Amino acid sequence: MDMVALAMGIMLGLCGVGAGIALIAGIGPGIGEGQAVAAACEAIGRQPEAKGDVTSTMIMGCAIAETTGLYGLIIGILLIFVAPGIFSGVLKETVLALK
Amino acid sequence: MSRLDPTVRKETAYIAAWVLLLSLLMEAVFLLLGKWDLSVLAGNAIGGIAAVANFLLLGITVTRAASGPKEKIALRVRSSMTARLLGLAAVCALAVGLLHTNVYATLLPLLFYRVGIAFRPMLDRRRGKTETGNTEGGDLLD
Repeated sequence: MDMVALAMGIMLGLCGVGAGIALIAGIGPGIGEGQAVAAACEAIGRQPEAKGDVTSTMIMGCAIAETTGLYGLIIGILLIFVAPGIFSGVLKETVLALK
Repeated sequence: MSRLDPTVRKETAYIAAWVLLLSLLMEAVFLLLGKWDLSVLAGNAIGGIAAVANFLLLGITVTRAASGPKEKIALRVRSSMTARLLGLAAVCALAVGLLHTNVYATLLPLLFYRVGIAFRPMLDRRRGKTETGNTEGGDLLD
């Protein structure tokens, strides 16, 4: 039974670590968005009459870039709230099958 | 609201419409699967509102950063992105952990706006870009 508790602890810990790693995905889009907006500002500076179009494209582009971060966020939340239940169920079934 | 950039307002309305449409579709799927309950509705509402609010804040940040000092643009957008992501994580974690909303119904609406953006160039092309020379960003996103 101690081994089961140990396995459960390791599994929960790894779920937390995995969630943390998944959230690292939020760093890249932030950097990319910053560069995209800076470039868009230069474009607006060059052609102020195209401000509406550039702003619209910039916002949509940033939203697309941000989706990558959201994937990481969703994986992280699933690892925290859903995965432990599924994995512990599998672990219990395995232990019962071995007995 | 009056200080909101018209482009941001227009894009947010477009995204909100897509989130609403896909939320209704998701509710219908839950109903068809026989797994619909109030936790699905609550999760969908929270996730949908969070997604639209996230997009609105993104638009506000981007337009404000664009009008600010040039050196701080990247920094502002980056810190806003981090804050918004953490905010979304907190909202979703609170909804799922404390309010016990359906996890999938809470998280899926966060990705609905991506579907709306994917359909954007197609809708623009169909509309025929009637506005004078307005490409609405569709061409650049292709």
